[in-house]
Amino acid sequence: MSEMTWQQLRDLDCGAVRALGDLWKSHVETMLDQTERLRADVVEGHLSVENFESDTATQVREHITLTADRYEDDLSDYATTRIATTLHEAADAFEAEQNELKELIPLIESRDFDIEGPHKEYDVNLSGGLHQAILTLDPPQWLCDMVGITKPSGFWDWDTLKALFNSVDLYGTAIGLAGQYQDWLRAVMSRAHDADDDAAAALSEMSDNPTELPPHLGATYDDLIDDYKEGVSDEVANEARAIAEGTSGMSPEQVNQWWENLSDAEREALLEEHPEWVGPVDGIPTEYRDTANRVLLDRNIDSLDSQIAAKEQALAGMDPDSDEYERAKEELDGLKGDRSDLVRLQEHITNEDGSPKVYGITDQQYYLLGFDTEGSGKAVVSIGNPDTADNVNAYVPGTGGNLAGASGGLMDRTETMARDADNASDAETATVLWLGYDAPDSIVPEAMQSKWAEDGSKALERFTQGVRATAEGEPSNLTLTGHSYGTTMVGTAAATQGVEADNLVFIGSPGVGVDTASALGVDESNVWASTNDEDVIQYGPVHGNAPVNESFGGNTFTSDSPREKTEWWKFWEGATENHSSYWDDGSEPGEANNEISRSNQAHIVTGQEDMVR
Amino acid sequence: MNPPVEENMNEQPPASAYTQATAYAPMEAAVADLVEALPEFPGFERRVWAKTPCSRGGVDDPRYTNVEIEYRFSKEDSQTAKVREQYIDALREHWLGLGLRIVADRPLESRDRTDHDLVAYRPEDGVKLWYSVAFYASVRVRSGCVPVSDLSEIEYVPPTGGILPGGRRDLVSSYFPDGIPEQEAVNPFASPDDFEDQL
Repeated sequence: MSEMTWQQLRDLDCGAVRALGDLWKSHVETMLDQTERLRADVVEGHLSVENFESDTATQVREHITLTADRYEDDLSDYATTRIATTLHEAADAFEAEQNELKELIPLIESRDFDIEGPHKEYDVNLSGGLHQAILTLDPPQWLCDMVGITKPSGFWDWDTLKALFNSVDLYGTAIGLAGQYQDWLRAVMSRAHDADDDAAAALSEMSDNPTELPPHLGATYDDLIDDYKEGVSDEVANEARAIAEGTSGMSPEQVNQWWENLSDAEREALLEEHPEWVGPVDGIPTEYRDTANRVLLDRNIDSLDSQIAAKEQALAGMDPDSDEYERAKEELDGLKGDRSDLVRLQEHITNEDGSPKVYGITDQQYYLLGFDTEGSGKAVVSIGNPDTADNVNAYVPGTGGNLAGASGGLMDRTETMARDADNASDAETATVLWLGYDAPDSIVPEAMQSKWAEDGSKALERFTQGVRATAEGEPSNLTLTGHSYGTTMVGTAAATQGVEADNLVFIGSPGVGVDTASALGVDESNVWASTNDEDVIQYGPVHGNAPVNESFGGNTFTSDSPREKTEWWKFWEGATENHSSYWDDGSEPGEANNEISRSNQAHIVTGQEDMVR
Repeated sequence: MNPPVEENMNEQPPASAYTQATAYAPMEAAVADLVEALPEFPGFERRVWAKTPCSRGGVDDPRYTNVEIEYRFSKEDSQTAKVREQYIDALREHWLGLGLRIVADRPLESRDRTDHDLVAYRPEDGVKLWYSVAFYASVRVRSGCVPVSDLSEIEYVPPTGGILPGGRRDLVSSYFPDGIPEQEAVNPFASPDDFEDQL
C-alpha cells in the first residue's frame, strides 16, 4: 500500500516520471530493429539454409527465431504496455492531484490550519494560533467575513462584543471550513495512493511472473521445446484470464493496448472459447463485449433451466412439511426469479431472430456490457455505442436497484434520458445504465451504510477508464448521473478512487460521501445537483453535506416535484413519490411530467451547460 | 432476487379504446390531421414507431404497452420561427377547436433558446399528442396503455408529412421483419426523402 505523504506528492517531479515512460517507448522502437537484424542477417542470412544445412543449424535457427519472438512480445507486453503506459498513467494521475494540492495547501496555510495525522487519514485542524485568536476575540479577517462581522479593532468596543457573542459561530465556521479542507485533502491523497498502488501492482505483477524463455540448446532441447511452444500458445488465454479475474494489475488502457495487439484469430478464439474473459472487461471494445455477453446471457439462462429442473426433481422426493423442503423451495424460487430477470433482460435487448435490438426512438442499438445475478444483481447496458458516441451519460441508480430493473423501471429512465439527449442535440449520446455495483436493498439499514458505495468504487473508476480507453477518435464528453444512493456511489468513487468523468450530476442525493465539490477531483463548475422541493431525501443527508447546499460548492439546477398525493390525508406521499419523479415524462393521462429536470439533465449531458436553469 | 413480475400483476388492467394493433391507424390519422392544420408545412425528416412500458406500482406490466409514434423535423427546420413558435400557436388553436384538452403548455426558457412542450389529451380514446420543441422539434402521439398485440396483427400504416413509405427515414422496420407489405412497396422512381449522401 502506498506510503506517499502529501509533501512527497507536492514535491514529486511528474515530468521526470513521464519522461521515463517516453524513454521506454523509444527504447522499444530501437530494440525492435535488433530482432529484425537477427531474422534478416542471421536466420535468413549468414545462418540460412543455403549456408548451413544440418539438424543443429535447423535447431539454432529455430532457437534464434523463438528468442526473437519472445523478445518482441516482451517489448510489447512489458516495455510498452506495462512499463511505459504505467509510468504515463501514474504521471497523469499524480500531476492531477498535485495540481489540487497546489490549490489546497495555500488555502490551508492562509487560514492558519494545521495538517496532522498519518498519511492515510490526514486531519486538518485549527492551529494553536487560530484558537488563540478566536479566544482572545481577535479572529482573522477571513473568518469575520465568513461570519459577517467587523473585525474588532483591539479595544473593548461594539465589534469586540459582537465577536464575543458570535464566538460559537466563529468556531463553528472555522471548524466547518477545516472539515471541508480535510475532505478535500483526504480525497486527493486517496486518489494519489490509488494511482500509486495501481502502478505498483502493474509493475510488480510483471516481476512476479516473468515470462519463460526458450530452453537452452543442448541434450534436453528436444524434450523441452514442445512444452515451451505449448506454453506460448496458451499465453493469450492465460493473460485473458488474469485480466478478467483482476490479477493482471493492468489498467483498462493497458487492457485495450493488449487487446489491440492480439491477432484477429486470437480475438475470435477468445470470444468463442472464453466469452467470460471478454464480456465483463473494461478496456475491451464495446462490440466485442456485447457479443460475448449475449453468449453468456444465453448460457446463464440455459444453466438456470438445468438447475431449476434438478431442484424440482429433488423437491418431488422431499417431505413438504420438512425444513429441508422449505430451504429447497426457497432456493428454487430464487433460481426462478434470476431466470425471469435474465430472460426479460434478453427480451429487452434482443430481437426475435436473435439479433441485437435497437431502441426505436433514438435508433440506437442496445449493448450489453455486463450482468450478474449475485446479490441484488448487476447490469451494465448501453443505448448506443460508448466507443463512438460524442457524449456518454452513465446513470447510476440507488437503493433497490437490481437486475429486474435493468429491463424495467431503471431501463425506462435510461431510455427517457437517451431520448431527451437525442432531442437536445444533434451529437450522438450513448446512455448507459450502470448498475455495476451491489446496490443497497433497503433504506434502513443498508442505504445508511457507505460500504455499498465503497465496494463499488473500483468498478465505477474502471468503467470510466474503460470508456476513455475504447473511445474511437476524440474522447467523449462523459457524465455520471447518480440518483439517490447512486449519488453516494458516484461521489465516493470520485473522491476515493477518481473517475475519468467530465461531469458529475447528483439527483435527489442523501450526500455524496464528502462535504465539498472540491474533493471530487472534477472541476467544481462541472458538478451539478438537484433535489426538488418535496423530495423526502432533503430531510436525511446521511452521507455528508447535501450537494445542493451552497456550502458544497457545486452548481444546482431546477427540478419540479410533479407528483401529487393520491388522497388528501396521505401527507407523506408527495415527499416519497417526488424522490422518484425526476424522469417523469407524462406518458399516462394525467401523469406527472418533470420536463424541466429532464431538459436540464439533457443539456448537461450534451455539453450545453449554458442552457441549464 | 425479485419475484417474477407476473406475481405483482393481479390487478384488473385499465380499460383502453384500442389494442396495440388497432392503435396505429387512429394515431397516424391524428398526425395527418395535424399536418393539414399547419400552414406551409416543410415536411418531417423521420418517423419512428416505438413502444414504452406500462407500469403499475413501479412494475412494468408485460401484457400492456404504450404505443408511440414520433415524427421529427430536420435540424434546419427545427431552428425556424415557423416551427418553433408559429406552429405552437396554430396547434393550440386547432386542438382546442377539436375538443382536445390542453394538459401542458409551457415554454422552457434558457439563455440561447426557448423550448416548448404543448401536450393535448383526447378524452374519447385517451390518446395524447405532443408538439415538442427542443434542439429538434417533433410530434409525438401516445396511445396510453393498450393490450400488447402479436407482431403479425400489426398493419403497416404509410407515413404522413412527406416521409417516403418504407424509406430509410421511415423507422418502422422492426415491426415488419419480413419487410414492408408489398402493396406499400417503395416506388423506385419516386424522389428520395432527401439527397443526403447522393450528391
